[in-house]
Amino acid sequence: MRLRAFVTAAVAWLAAGGLDAATDPGRALAPRMEFVPPAAGTYELQRIQRAPDAELLDANANVRRLSGYTTQKITLLTFFYTYCVDPWGCPFAYQTLTGLRDRVIAEPQLASRVRFVSVSFDPTHDTPAALRQYGGRFMGDPRFEWQFLTARSVPELLPVLDGFGQDVRVEKDASGRPTRTMNHMLKMFLIDPEGVVREIYSLAYLQQPVMFNDIRTLALEEDSALAKAR
Amino acid sequence: MNIRSLIPGIALLVCSIALADETCNSPYMTGLIKGQEDFIHVWTLGVSGVGDGSDKLVTIDVNPKSSKYGKLVHSVSVGERGESHHMGFTDDRKQLWAGGLDNNKIYVFDVGTDPAQPKLVKTIKDLGKHTGFLGPHTFYALPGRMLIATLSNTAKKDGVTGMALYNNNGDFIAKYPMPVGKLGTGTGDGYGYDIAINPARNAILTSSFAGWNNYMRDLGEVVGDPAAMKQFGNTMVMWDLKAMKPSQVFEVPGAPLEIRWSLKPGDNWAITATALTSKLWLIKQDAAGHWQAREVGTIGDPAKIPLPVDISIAADGKGLWVNTFMDGTTHYFDISNPEHPVETYAKQTGKQVNMISQSWDGKRVYITSSLLSKWDKKGADDEQFLRAYNWDGKELTLAFATDFKAAKLGRPHHMKFTARPAGTALAEL
Repeated sequence: MRLRAFVTAAVAWLAAGGLDAATDPGRALAPRMEFVPPAAGTYELQRIQRAPDAELLDANANVRRLSGYTTQKITLLTFFYTYCVDPWGCPFAYQTLTGLRDRVIAEPQLASRVRFVSVSFDPTHDTPAALRQYGGRFMGDPRFEWQFLTARSVPELLPVLDGFGQDVRVEKDASGRPTRTMNHMLKMFLIDPEGVVREIYSLAYLQQPVMFNDIRTLALEEDSALAKAR
Repeated sequence: MNIRSLIPGIALLVCSIALADETCNSPYMTGLIKGQEDFIHVWTLGVSGVGDGSDKLVTIDVNPKSSKYGKLVHSVSVGERGESHHMGFTDDRKQLWAGGLDNNKIYVFDVGTDPAQPKLVKTIKDLGKHTGFLGPHTFYALPGRMLIATLSNTAKKDGVTGMALYNNNGDFIAKYPMPVGKLGTGTGDGYGYDIAINPARNAILTSSFAGWNNYMRDLGEVVGDPAAMKQFGNTMVMWDLKAMKPSQVFEVPGAPLEIRWSLKPGDNWAITATALTSKLWLIKQDAAGHWQAREVGTIGDPAKIPLPVDISIAADGKGLWVNTFMDGTTHYFDISNPEHPVETYAKQTGKQVNMISQSWDGKRVYITSSLLSKWDKKGADDEQFLRAYNWDGKELTLAFATDFKAAKLGRPHHMKFTARPAGTALAEL
């Protein structure tokens, strides 16, 4: 089954009830949105921390500095692995990102100022070739920049994870051997053109209209700063 | 790939990531425990002449399958006494931030590496410098950062205060003063206490207590001083979470303390208890979507000032534990209809009781005794304990107790649960 079809099926299954239990905390943690988000530009996003830097590999196996992909544009960065099937993990992130991408592309003047960056948790499996296979349809799209990155090794990836505060643990099987499941808290990092993290979205907070307004808020902030500088 | 073949695996995965234990944690927190907690960490006030006399994080093994069940397994002293009180996990549950109401310090413990042996890894001392606030109380995780409600201020040490925001590295980000003056239908008094967030409603709800001048003064003196008795919070505030701006003040007289949102998906209400007036208050959206606060119940006999302190809501939003400090009683309210709470059970669990925490399934309930160093009872009534109970829906049955005096630990206050980490860290492969 193709990834997009699987995501649609999995999310529909969960939305229809999924794990039916009297008090299922999972559903309590699923993202809900029962409010009208404040309009873009009516609030200020906090300056949380500088985005960390490191050398990573792009999908063409070129060594690149991460800072080259976290500055100059408004960046939404997340971590993933290509074979993740947890419905509230990478597939849900994929669904969120593609939905946001559609919203941004609908405003061409904004689209040129925004990029997505997806960094793999698994340098061993997610080689540049695997990234091309996973995200190829988005990489060459001239309307919108979406970068897929991996590391040369786990030791080179760890400082990036630590720097962003992204946790991940590898699940073990009954005999204590590591499996192919990586439990992680789904997070997305919104980074301004100066390379400062301005918002962090975890699962309960992945509300596309809010995230879109946050992106537009950063664009308006940049417009305002440029106007003052003139 | 066949979707049907994936469903059992998906179910297991959801179970592994989306579980909760104590029902009052931040909705942004990961690593929640639905099953059996392994440890309880108790933020404990140091007492002069007892042990080393310093505040400490005490860890007790609470897994019945452990050979150390009910035993003290670890203690980390911070080497000073600063009125330890509340604490909270970071969103990744790796760190536990714990505050000193008197010395204005924040102690950061690593509980993620080995929860059986927490380590003090950082002490944040710049809260007063950056904000002018005093008395870090509630530690509420936001993604990648910690929102802290404070009780007082460094200038006058009264109850006018605010919230501070730090990132998970311990760097200060911003401060948010509690509103003063007319806002919506109420008038802000500037006081603060607890924080509770409902992401689905873009809502932060805050409550109000008292400043350093009151909470660091002998309780008998405060009660006997009419001027001091006027220095308590009488408000709650609704905030726009995204904008971090107050939007509505509610008049809630008598020091509204702990706030608990119903965790049932789709519910749009929170509940609190007022310390001085002994009432339950409901904060709920009306049919037009406007937030309203109103009194919905009475706790004990308000004329006797039972002093409701901590509360704990059931995961399904249908039950509420309430501890009353003065008479040492633990109450259970049926809140199936939150507009009309009904007390269905009460038991004296100590000569003084304060904090109460329950497991996600509600089968285990833990109680500690200390309120504040200057407010705890004197003499023989000054029991200091952690008591663990099993709850079968009808009766609290004592499972074990730890005497914090006999163990020379101090006054036990806030509790947090941890479990041994599942899986392997990437760095360990």
